[in-house]
Amino acid sequence: MFILLAALISLACTTRVSEWVLLNALPNQYTLVYFHKGSVSESVKNQNQKLAEGINTANIQFKTVSRQEIAESYYGLYYEGRFFSKFMTVDELKGLSSSPLREKVAAELMAGKLCVMLYLKTDNKEKDDRGLNTLHSAIESSPFNKIITVVELSRNSREEHHFASLLLNVEDDLKDIQEPMLFGIFGRFKALEPLLGGGISGENINLMIDYFTAECSCLIKDDLPGTDILFRDQWEHPQTALLNKIIDDNPMLGY
Amino acid sequence: MQIDTLSYDSLDSRPLPEWLIDQKSGITTIQPEEIVMREDHSLTISFIVTGLFIILLVALITLYINRKHKNQES
Repeated sequence: MFILLAALISLACTTRVSEWVLLNALPNQYTLVYFHKGSVSESVKNQNQKLAEGINTANIQFKTVSRQEIAESYYGLYYEGRFFSKFMTVDELKGLSSSPLREKVAAELMAGKLCVMLYLKTDNKEKDDRGLNTLHSAIESSPFNKIITVVELSRNSREEHHFASLLLNVEDDLKDIQEPMLFGIFGRFKALEPLLGGGISGENINLMIDYFTAECSCLIKDDLPGTDILFRDQWEHPQTALLNKIIDDNPMLGY
Repeated sequence: MQIDTLSYDSLDSRPLPEWLIDQKSGITTIQPEEIVMREDHSLTISFIVTGLFIILLVALITLYINRKHKNQES
């Protein structure tokens, strides 16, 4: 009995945070609400139906709410009760649940990578280069460098403006901070609260890597940090975590 | 929830992310078993036992030799 229990405990502890979250933690849901005053015309109903169908594979639900106090109709995006963004027309919602860079990040996570480190740039070259150099040298010196993907994104990107906006909503004040930010993305597109400005240091980047490579304790499972990014659901059958082979080859890295 | 103003004076005084605080304090990793140092009396006990053994042995040998001497004298 004790041997069986010990075997079960040892099995539970060999899974690393990054792999456990990818396999087990379902992403939290967003809610897109169409607020309107009075009755909704047939054309708007059709338009909203198409919209709902277009996003129904993502971690989002669509709702319609009537409010008498509003001046004009709009769409509001919410995550776990937090207001994220306001859109006045349906055209502004184009590409809300998917974009080329999000596809790339998801593909890396599904390929068994430890995480994707997304560097959100300010477009101030001096500031951006400083943090980026620190990031690259920290990754190069890490034994896990081959299983970490680094991607860059400008916070002013037009093509990825929804993605940038979602990242800047991970914490309430990020939109007001004009500093480069480093988001660790893992699991099913969960973004950790970022390192920013001077906080993008070798020590902190290594602590972020340590978090992803840590043995998955109950403490981590019960209180996962970060915000799930809105993305279409494509998390079935991921590749085996590449981290496992590195730790098997060099067990000292697992502690 | 949106906020209008920052709740801190500078970026340096901005609170660190919770996950980073936890990593710095090491509470998200499985803690190794804490080793508690206990006073080790084994060496003292060993000396006392050895000393007593030697004293006892010397006493026994002395008694034995004394008796042997007495027997030879009588």
